[in-house]
Amino acid sequence: MNYFRQSPAQRIIGLGSRLLTGYVLVSLGILLAAGGGSWDINNHLLNKPETFFAPPHAVLYSGVALAVAGAIMLFSASRRTESKMIWPIKLAMAGVVVLVVAGPVDFMWHSAYGLDGLLSPPHFVLVSGMIASSIGSLAGMTYHNSMAFREFRLPPALIVLGILPVWLAASGMVDMFSLPFSHTGYFNFDPHPAVGVAVATLAFPLLISVLMCTSSVLAGRRFGVLTATGAAFMATSMLTSMVPNDALVPTIPFYVANIIPFAAADALLSFSRSKLSQYAAGAIMGLTFFMLYYPLITYTYNKVTTNITVWPSLIAPTYFAMIGTVVPLVAAPAVAMGILGVIASNKLVVKNKAL
Amino acid sequence: MPRNKRSMVFFYGKLLRAMVLVAVVAAALAGYFALSVYILPHSYQASLVPRKAAPIVTQVSLPPRVTLGQSFAIFVNATNDGDEADVQTVSIGFPNFTGTDSIKVASHNFRQTPMLIIKGKQVGSEYVGAEKPVDAQYAIVEAMSRPWASGNSYSITLQVTPETEGRFVAFVKSIALPHNGNQAHWPQEGVLDQQKELVKVYTVDVAKA
Repeated sequence: MNYFRQSPAQRIIGLGSRLLTGYVLVSLGILLAAGGGSWDINNHLLNKPETFFAPPHAVLYSGVALAVAGAIMLFSASRRTESKMIWPIKLAMAGVVVLVVAGPVDFMWHSAYGLDGLLSPPHFVLVSGMIASSIGSLAGMTYHNSMAFREFRLPPALIVLGILPVWLAASGMVDMFSLPFSHTGYFNFDPHPAVGVAVATLAFPLLISVLMCTSSVLAGRRFGVLTATGAAFMATSMLTSMVPNDALVPTIPFYVANIIPFAAADALLSFSRSKLSQYAAGAIMGLTFFMLYYPLITYTYNKVTTNITVWPSLIAPTYFAMIGTVVPLVAAPAVAMGILGVIASNKLVVKNKAL
Repeated sequence: MPRNKRSMVFFYGKLLRAMVLVAVVAAALAGYFALSVYILPHSYQASLVPRKAAPIVTQVSLPPRVTLGQSFAIFVNATNDGDEADVQTVSIGFPNFTGTDSIKVASHNFRQTPMLIIKGKQVGSEYVGAEKPVDAQYAIVEAMSRPWASGNSYSITLQVTPETEGRFVAFVKSIALPHNGNQAHWPQEGVLDQQKELVKVYTVDVAKA
């Protein structure tokens, strides 16, 4: 017997630090890129930048550079194994390649058509790449952990780091098809107001529920991780969407209150194993979407309510004037999509161990 | 302890735990929705005071008379004497022109590049911007800063070449958006232009060479 021959698990642990570093770099890169993207949307609202070389773009493409470094590390680490490259690494790398291709195309688009809207072909490709690479990275971390330690759980910091970029990138995709920010001098890619509202009402609750439920599962249903992930999303959102706009700063306490439903859903998922608790947690998370996606969601729903021009300094009054009407109207679909999110998360993560 | 009694204690313990969990979650959610949907929105509606920007055109310089064929400079400087404006525009209209071939932007320090608008292009009106678009009847140069901070001044110099002799007219105005009162436009009185907005009229006599 060859006592020096490594088991697959040992080999994976041996490669672990390189792979883990690769996954972390990809996730951090996408987090930076998605955060930069969110800041960019607000920069367009507040300052109407006229060139490609704006500070949010610098943050966005620094994130892409970090993700490229992570993908290279993943590629080199995976070539050292005898087995075939696993799908999460392929997905992460494919996503990063798409990101790299989208950069110059975005620059050319800006050069040809000037100020671009939120939804444009290069932006769509860019966000698709972000989603693919962040999902690949999260799945890779989970796969690596389960192979190395026979444990379908991740440390809390990795869960937050893995989930947050997926959440931000996927939210960016939903924003593209719901916010009326895509009408430029050359193209009008704005969604029909009713379509925008339908997309936001159905997709945001589903997204929150799937990702929050997944974070709880990956934490082994330990209390705190779901809340921490929600808090990290809120912190990113505040930094990129509220702090740059002075008029929104007084409303930060309103936004911080969103931690309550996260903690409530976390408690339900952690302290009870019943299906009813899971569905209740999904419903709660779905219901919060209108508050969680403040302030930008104001623009989507304003289109079908008052349809006035929402100047940056008037976002808060416009939002608070409509919240009492909108929340009761969207409650039923939001609850349904929240519950659907729990079911989807269970099917994806728990039953198939897809991650 | 009898076995069935132990399981009863276990059952009631679990039930109590579930009831406490449900009560805590329900109370937290009731508080959250009351706070987020009713209490804070009403409080913000009362406390969030809209910003009041106050545009003022502080200087307009142009020669009283020129010779036909000769170009001249128009210098316009504007400031904001009120709170920060999301957008503040300075607009110089030229009823003598339908195109912008005879207008050049010589210099400016606005945050955004000034726009040259020709006859037929849609422009905002009645101080509500793009909510009430109208077709431009004559050439306009529109410069804007987004945002325009309180106390900041921006200026623009245009090089204009009149095409005909006689009275050459320039309409000057500055508007802050959102337009939330009479203080949000300059001038406060004057002539209504094609956009049904007040302008101050400046003239130059163009004499034959």
